[in-house]
Amino acid sequence: MRRQFINDPGEVVSEALEGFAAAWPRHVRWNSEPGYLVRASPARDKVALVSGGGSGHEPLHAGFVGAGMLDAAVPGAVFASPTAVQIREASLAAHTGRGVLHVVKNYTGDVLNFRIAGELLADEGVASDIVLVDDDLATDTAEGPGRRGTAAVVAVEKVCGAAAEEGADLAALAALGRRVVAGSRTLSVALAAGAHPGQSRPSFDLPDGEVEFGVGIHGERARERRAFAPTRELVPQLVSPLVEALELGRGERVITIVNGLGATTDLELYGVFREVRRLLAEAGVEPARALVGSYVTSLDMAGCSVTLVRADEEVLRLWDAPAATPALTW
Amino acid sequence: MADHLSTARVQRWVHGFTDAVEERGEYLTDLDRRSGDGDFGTNMTTALRRARRALAEADTRAGAGSAFQVLGETFLGHSGGTSGPLFGMWFRDFGKVGAGSGAFSLPMLAEASANGWATVTRLGSARVGDRTMVDAIAPASRALDEAAEAGSPLAEALEAAAAAAHEGAEGTSGLLGRRGRTSYVGEAALGSPDPGAVTIALFYRAAREALDA
Repeated sequence: MRRQFINDPGEVVSEALEGFAAAWPRHVRWNSEPGYLVRASPARDKVALVSGGGSGHEPLHAGFVGAGMLDAAVPGAVFASPTAVQIREASLAAHTGRGVLHVVKNYTGDVLNFRIAGELLADEGVASDIVLVDDDLATDTAEGPGRRGTAAVVAVEKVCGAAAEEGADLAALAALGRRVVAGSRTLSVALAAGAHPGQSRPSFDLPDGEVEFGVGIHGERARERRAFAPTRELVPQLVSPLVEALELGRGERVITIVNGLGATTDLELYGVFREVRRLLAEAGVEPARALVGSYVTSLDMAGCSVTLVRADEEVLRLWDAPAATPALTW
Repeated sequence: MADHLSTARVQRWVHGFTDAVEERGEYLTDLDRRSGDGDFGTNMTTALRRARRALAEADTRAGAGSAFQVLGETFLGHSGGTSGPLFGMWFRDFGKVGAGSGAFSLPMLAEASANGWATVTRLGSARVGDRTMVDAIAPASRALDEAAEAGSPLAEALEAAAAAAHEGAEGTSGLLGRRGRTSYVGEAALGSPDPGAVTIALFYRAAREALDA
């Protein structure tokens, strides 16, 4: 039996967004109809960076609205795509005349609704493009909809957000985003499933001695269960396939994101990062920057993901550029 | 009999279609349960009811396309999942072709169908034979094209399109799904038609009936 702070499951998302906007009045404004967040102080003369997707992944994407990152975020219901009209309205609100870049995690509903929004925007004379984020190595199969989009979306929003502030045009931003995506891979492991709002049972049960290996961020089961083990034995199972998939050579630099899936403590996550760092050092890869914390969650799933992002001089410079958003500020 | 669908007849078309889908809501949901996640009928009727309310408030006398523009905007604004938005874009193409005209002629209907077919194919990446709404759209569009080229009366053309869409929809019973959620269930869906294709058949049948009304 799991308990939650809840009034009505159907109102969880709108109540949270109302609270979120009230908590960050200097950062964001919430438009409940049709449903999008924009910066409280809109930017001028830059490509608008807009992202969105299902709720249940907080602080993604709402938490990244602000100077240096997103101009608008479009939340859907829990684990469901926002509608095309929501995306169109958010994009029009954020548009400054230089086009709109949509950062979209690779899920069928999100992709379809963002593509439709792009067509609706074209009818309004607004240019837009999509950077599709598909970093999840666990779903790297030839058949089907392709790799899922997970925590690398934070790197894309940070790096493209900084470049947009510097005045990059739409084509350059899209190319930059695709470069970051191409150099990013993520693997995740769950220690316990999360529970949907209003449900007392988690979406799957795990025996004490096992972990769910290769989970996504929607509470679904993964292809594989492996033995639960100490951090020093679990983390290599995440890191080695990433280094191999990205073909990271000695001397290369990466941004590492160790991301909690909702119910895992920072205490544990920093322990995980310590292991990641050790493994990268062994592989001769330089962990140039790190982000450790819960940024792309799956309700209250216990577990973590490790993302490696290949980083060159330009990517590092943009990563280091200032950002002032509710969830990420430096 | 009329050789065009006036704005008033388009209203009847839309309401007749809504009625038909509502009547078959449970059947459509049942079909979806066999091939998808079982919410198609409910999602469709919820969106159509919302559209009916929007239609009551909107000025749909502005042009033959305006009722479809309202339908399209409602589906794109309130319907989650993947079939809802695709239906939204489908209605939108009829709205675009009819915008600014007082009535739909046969060539206009043929054009709207062809555009809608192209849009759904482009966005949904589904082709004929994939067990989707395209399996009803394609034969109906071809029927309208042929009728327009032959200069057939509108009633005959819509009858042919409705029959072709129905046949195409029924034919999906024997198809394996390759797109959407139905692709996950494979052979389990064999024997029942795709609910999206069935809904498209209802759409053309309602057009034919609006001409008589």
